[in-house]
Amino acid sequence: MLNLMIPATADDADLYLEQSSSESLALEEGRVKHVSASTHQGIGARVVCGETAGHAYTDRFETAALLEAAKAARAIAGQGQQRAPVAIHSQPSAHQLYLPENPASGLSMQDRKTLLESIDKLARSLDPRVKQVFASLSNSFDIVDIFTMSGQHLSDARPLVRLNVSVVVESGDKRETGSAGGGGRFTLSHIQQTDMVEHFTREAVRMALLNLDAIAAPAGPMPVVLGPGWPGILLHEAIGHGLEGDFNRKGTSVFSNKIGKQVAAAGVTVVDDGTIPNRRGSLNVDDEGTATSRTVLIENGILKGYMQDKQNARLMGMPATGNGRRESYADPVLPRMTNTFMLAGNDKPEDILASLDRGIYAVNFGGGQVDITSGKFVFTTSEAYLVEKGKIIAPVKGATLIGMGHEVLKKVSMVGNDLELDPGVGSCGKDGQSVPVGVGMPTIRVDELTVGGTEGGQS
Amino acid sequence: MNQSNSMSTKLEALNTRLLDYARQAGAIHADALIVTDIGESVSVRMGKIESVEREDSQGAGLRAFVESTGGLAFASASTSDLSDEGLRKLAEQTIAMARISEPDPDAVPPVGAMHPDAQALDDWRRKHPYKTHGWDTETAKEAALACEQAALSYDKAISNSDGAQASFGESCITYASSDGFVASFPNVSASLSVSVIAGSDEDMQTDYAYDQARVAATLRSADAIGREAAERTAKRLGASAYQGSKSCPIVFEPRVAKSLIGHLLSAINGRAVLQQRSFLADSLGKKIFPEFIHLVDDPDHPQGLGNRLFDGEGTACKACDIIAAGELKLFLTDRYAAGRLQQPSSGHARRGLTGDIGIGSSNVILQPGTDTPEAILQDIQSGILITELMGFGVNGVNGDYSRGAAGFLIENGVITSPVQEFTIAGNLLNMFANISHLGSDLTWFASTAVPTICVQGMTVAGQAE
Repeated sequence: MLNLMIPATADDADLYLEQSSSESLALEEGRVKHVSASTHQGIGARVVCGETAGHAYTDRFETAALLEAAKAARAIAGQGQQRAPVAIHSQPSAHQLYLPENPASGLSMQDRKTLLESIDKLARSLDPRVKQVFASLSNSFDIVDIFTMSGQHLSDARPLVRLNVSVVVESGDKRETGSAGGGGRFTLSHIQQTDMVEHFTREAVRMALLNLDAIAAPAGPMPVVLGPGWPGILLHEAIGHGLEGDFNRKGTSVFSNKIGKQVAAAGVTVVDDGTIPNRRGSLNVDDEGTATSRTVLIENGILKGYMQDKQNARLMGMPATGNGRRESYADPVLPRMTNTFMLAGNDKPEDILASLDRGIYAVNFGGGQVDITSGKFVFTTSEAYLVEKGKIIAPVKGATLIGMGHEVLKKVSMVGNDLELDPGVGSCGKDGQSVPVGVGMPTIRVDELTVGGTEGGQS
Repeated sequence: MNQSNSMSTKLEALNTRLLDYARQAGAIHADALIVTDIGESVSVRMGKIESVEREDSQGAGLRAFVESTGGLAFASASTSDLSDEGLRKLAEQTIAMARISEPDPDAVPPVGAMHPDAQALDDWRRKHPYKTHGWDTETAKEAALACEQAALSYDKAISNSDGAQASFGESCITYASSDGFVASFPNVSASLSVSVIAGSDEDMQTDYAYDQARVAATLRSADAIGREAAERTAKRLGASAYQGSKSCPIVFEPRVAKSLIGHLLSAINGRAVLQQRSFLADSLGKKIFPEFIHLVDDPDHPQGLGNRLFDGEGTACKACDIIAAGELKLFLTDRYAAGRLQQPSSGHARRGLTGDIGIGSSNVILQPGTDTPEAILQDIQSGILITELMGFGVNGVNGDYSRGAAGFLIENGVITSPVQEFTIAGNLLNMFANISHLGSDLTWFASTAVPTICVQGMTVAGQAE
């Protein structure tokens, strides 16, 4: 079939077969009320000629439907003679970053139920103000087979697990919520064997209670200290998307043509690394069969490279970096991030916090968004504190922080020695496709970000 | 019998068979959705085809209830395999999972919903006859090329393109429940969008324009969409960082005003209310908006793309007031939330192939005011017109609101210069109560229609002065 669809003019062609199964259990009002599952399979055929790509997707595994898809892909992108047939041979993938095992087999349904019930019990026992507990456990197993134009066959079996806890607390007429969660590419029993259940439950309750005492966040520009781990979403939004190959090939990113230029303060090094074992953003091979790698994006403040899929790499004369990803067989490949983080520096976290005369110390965030063309980006705090003279004064309500991607890392004046990766919660959206990603960062100080609070605005 | 009719008949038969398999596997009650979808999307950039994507997909989603000690328990599962074996497996898998699920005394099985009767089904089909979207790869390509060309040539400031996309598709959705109700509807759609760039290097701006309709011929012209994208983009060029922090009136143009309606709808979602996850949980019957605010849900509107005869549980839909003279009249419910809230279902169950039943509106219309947008601006000494909102800084539990924004300064009643890099913040309850103007410019976005909205007294935070 691959042979049938490749015209002689093709620069690339591939077939992507995917079988995916997922399960989810959710607890609400003390009961596991929501149990769901899904099984999906399909095939994506693609032919690329220059800047043009033809894609056809079908979930009917019937020869006729498949041939039609292959022909459709060819008709869209290619003309001319059929290429000489290639022989297919299987290739082992470059990494073994996770066990090729369905995570569902790690824990029986009954055990999963018990685990969720224990979260409900623990959360309610921690504080009488806990009124509602929601907990969910989901797992998926995605088996992909990629057949490339040169006759390679690569296979990757990808487990993914996610635990989430969220609580509603009430005190008087105040109502607040807190949530925590995490996961990665491992089997469900891993959750039971670690302290994840207790840790995330305590975190969710702690955050909800903290929010009950939160004061209005200040409004305006000020220095911000970002805690380690998930605040690395700053990197994902501020610079990560802007360094994806497609935007730079098209010249639509504020980072276009900036390789070799200073885009961050000295001491700032940022990498995208798809090869960290068991991480949510890791893959043995990307969705084009390219081995994932560690790509240095910014080294000591200088822009070094972009994240590439095959098509954009070829058109830009650069190497593919193993960043070609798709949400499923029914989506096109795009250059996407894997695990994006800043390397540790030399500052002690306590010194960084002590340096703050008046500002915000933000340790946890909700989502973020970026406009890669103008460079403006936002991300919203879910746990943050007002700091004066190096001391924490009070927790502040959720506030959106805004900055410009090409400027913010130039304002990083201290980099901590405490690099942490996030707990395994990230999902990244681009062109309507969602893929799991990771972020990470040590504690850093940014000399100025605009904080979108309500306190301090004058009429 | 046209092609769509024969597809409907086939899927209805398949759906009925799936419910039979569910019963054989042990279900007491069940309902199911079967969907087929064929679509294509043509992307062009700088006058050349960038990609053509063709999709052909199908799926079945089953919800099955079993008797268990303490009441009914249920589970949901879905598959893309519609073969006989695939459907049998789905039924068995769903039942196995339902047996693990815990019984819920409030669970509402899919029997006895207020289904539309045969006459209503017939009337609906007559009123909404099947039409094709009217596009193929070639005509969609031409539309996308024309749209991008119009955008690129409209203004010299336009320097680059992120491309134009024309998409079209046809789906058929079948719902069946074990009380014997089965119905199916075709759904066609066509859309055209373009995004362009003005400026260069560190002074680049981008914006887009978009339209979506059932039939391609009723879309705004490729030229009009292209011009709108170009005009929006060019106007933003040279945007400066907003200086200072203050409290002032904020004007939301319809494109962003739509999101305020979205926050309201999330907060009156009956399930969120039950879970106490809404800042409006105690607001039913209360005046939360000024007197001149009226919001309706209309499941059969000539301009709405959210038309439906029945919801995701087969409950017949009817038009209803959500906000009347500023008062919250309704929580949106499916049968479960309705039962718990002790009211009849408002017909807002929303169902996808995967996961549990959710809640969603059909077509929501905020009744426009009488002022033109220009007249609204004239009342403002110093404020900001918002054309873009960014990020997720909205807390549905307490209504706290803080988002990134971009737009234009309003000075002495007129728009002066483009601004960016600032946030607007407040609390949704205050924002709703402080709406001072509604524009006359009602604008449709698929299934939401909203005019310009002006909110007094929001906090703006920008750069140091």
